[in-house]
Amino acid sequence: MATVTETGKGEAEWEVKIPEKKLKDRLFFENLKAMVIDTQMCSRCLTCVSICPSELIVNEEDIVDFPNYEEKCLDCGACVRVCPRYDYKPKSGLGDYMEFTAGKSKRFKGQDGAMGTEFIFSAIDMGLIDRGLFVDRDEQWRTSVFHVRGKEQLEKLPLGGTKYVFADILPELKKAVMFSKVGVGVVGTPCMVSGIRKLQEEFPVFREKVKLVVGLFCTENFHYNEVSKYLIEKGVDFSKLIKTDIMKGKFVATMTDDEVKFKVSQLTGILPSGCNVCTDFTAVESDVSVGSVGSVAGFSTTVVRTEAGKEIWDYIKKMGNAEVGEGKVEELDFLINHKKEREKNIKQ
Amino acid sequence: MKKVGTPEYDLSDKLKYHVSALSTAAKEMALPLNITTHYPRERKRQPDCFRGYMLFDPERCISCFQCSFVCPANAIWMKDAPSGRYYPTVDYGKCIFCHFCIDSCPGGALKTTKIHDVAYKTMDEMFTSTEEMIEPPEIIREDVGVVDYVIDKEDLSLKRTKEKDALIVDVEPSQGVPMVSVCVDRGSCLACKVCDRICESGAVSSVVEEATMTVKMAIDAEKCTGCGLCVKECSMQILRLVRK
Ligand SMILES: Cc1cc2nc3c(=O)[nH]c(=O)nc-3n(C[C@H](O)[C@H](O)[C@H](O)COP(=O)(O)OP(=O)(O)OC[C@H]3O[C@@H](n4cnc5c(N)ncnc54)[C@H](O)[C@@H]3O)c2cc1C
Ligand code: SF4
Ligand code: SF4
Ligand code: SF4
Ligand code: SF4
Repeated sequence: MATVTETGKGEAEWEVKIPEKKLKDRLFFENLKAMVIDTQMCSRCLTCVSICPSELIVNEEDIVDFPNYEEKCLDCGACVRVCPRYDYKPKSGLGDYMEFTAGKSKRFKGQDGAMGTEFIFSAIDMGLIDRGLFVDRDEQWRTSVFHVRGKEQLEKLPLGGTKYVFADILPELKKAVMFSKVGVGVVGTPCMVSGIRKLQEEFPVFREKVKLVVGLFCTENFHYNEVSKYLIEKGVDFSKLIKTDIMKGKFVATMTDDEVKFKVSQLTGILPSGCNVCTDFTAVESDVSVGSVGSVAGFSTTVVRTEAGKEIWDYIKKMGNAEVGEGKVEELDFLINHKKEREKNIKQ
Repeated sequence: MKKVGTPEYDLSDKLKYHVSALSTAAKEMALPLNITTHYPRERKRQPDCFRGYMLFDPERCISCFQCSFVCPANAIWMKDAPSGRYYPTVDYGKCIFCHFCIDSCPGGALKTTKIHDVAYKTMDEMFTSTEEMIEPPEIIREDVGVVDYVIDKEDLSLKRTKEKDALIVDVEPSQGVPMVSVCVDRGSCLACKVCDRICESGAVSSVVEEATMTVKMAIDAEKCTGCGLCVKECSMQILRLVRK
């Protein structure tokens, strides 16, 4: 694959390799739809939406869609090149790592030990990246993605903390990559991490610019309409909701004056089909993974996997930005296995 | 070039300049029309490069948006024409007459005039549509002569000629700096062919080779007008304009 021309002068001629179509004589979008969307394999990572030069979108029902594809799909194949579920090679387990530990940020407040937030800001402090992407939410807990460039921006916004609703991170990542002069850091669920790695495999600009990928432990995520309806039925008042969490098999919605708790298994009915075939709990392809199981309350379990992740982790320790705790590998076993079992749901 | 510093005058200088000012005033009284141009009965002759009201030639426009990008006052708005093309409109309420737009236009579709005296009654009227930019605006001309400013050493005098200055000048359209589009990151090309579709001069080609599943992309520097449309449309932002 060609790389960025060094002279900066550019080229007048070049070649692009496009993928083979599984369904010949059909548009690439029709291929994506047939192989991924219609088979209920789509994870809604939005890697395809981020790269599509035309009008691939996520529709009102929160499903990847291209309303006018017969006319508008350019048949470039970019979507199938990057979709991690097109040629799905499910990953599972704990993955390779250099250090399995736990941390608690001294600077930020987050879901657990705010290590997601800490990694991004330490990378900014190091000059490794000039912007990081965070999931923001409105009063109704609808998600949006926020480009953060400095600590001040964190003070007013609920950027740390887990929202159990899909967020359109990857399309924003593409924008960030285009804007950024130095590099971009991003936090995402395992399916998004896989999508980012695909983008990096295919396109040098993502290899060059995405410097830090923090993965979150993830069992499942939810579609906004479905989960909000459910939570309202359960008595959750969104205007008072300050935190959502899944702890010891229970969904906990903390409000300013009340708490709603119920077994996560009750949410099985609204489990997105893409999560139902997802086997990666720990985001094995990330630079660092953070999660809540595997360490004591108030700490984030931190799995340092790559040189890039290690460099930032060492910086965090050197600067004393976080308290270092203890990570217990065996505590992850249950959820790792729970997700590995979903392999049987994959029919290809 | 003369460097201008703060003048240091002593008493005799001050006296001298006061006398000079008084005598100039006396001269103007005895022999009027020495100092000012009597607009609108006469006009000062402006150079051909005068930055005035602008005219637009749709035939030369390639809808590249350069003028609207470069405008520091945000005075240019590209509007869709019935032909499906986009053409500039100018809001003279905002325009600062820098004429960067004229300089940046690769097709020479914009040109200057010496017209500087269009009167508007409202701000809305100052918003000038594409159609209004094609023909010169209606202005009332009462002038019967032109005035040339003749600078003779330190003094300035006016030279009057009985003629009407042509306000529409025939200037060579600006050629700008010849630019050409190139790809700076071949590996990140999607082969979406958007650049090929958008190029109005047929400079970009994208040929699909079914046998090898490759798309051969090429930009013909000879045909490329440097309009930058492809650069703007490429969603991967891997095309750049460089000097030809
Ligand atoms: C959908 C989801 C499911 C999860 N499931 C588990 C689980 O089963 N077990 C477990 O141990 N941990 C799970 N986690 C991770 C856990 O909730 C914490 O996010 C993690 O421990 C990091 O905490 P922190 O305090 O270090 O991060 P913080 O500093 O609070 O940062 C959290 C980061 O998560 C990002 N984020 C928030 N919501 C979303 C979202 N919807 N999509 C993508 N990114 C988001 C924020 O932008 C922020 O960067 C899950 C997270 C998500 C988003
Ligand atoms: S335009 Fe390209 S990326 Fe978008 S749906 Fe069509 S083939 Fe896929
Ligand atoms: S899995 Fe991701 S990349 Fe594939 S179709 Fe779904 S949203 Fe698009
Ligand atoms: S190739 Fe040249 S002429 Fe064609 S759109 Fe690009 S800049 Fe304009
Ligand atoms: S518009 Fe950009 S990405 Fe698409 S084919 Fe042209 S150069 Fe490649």
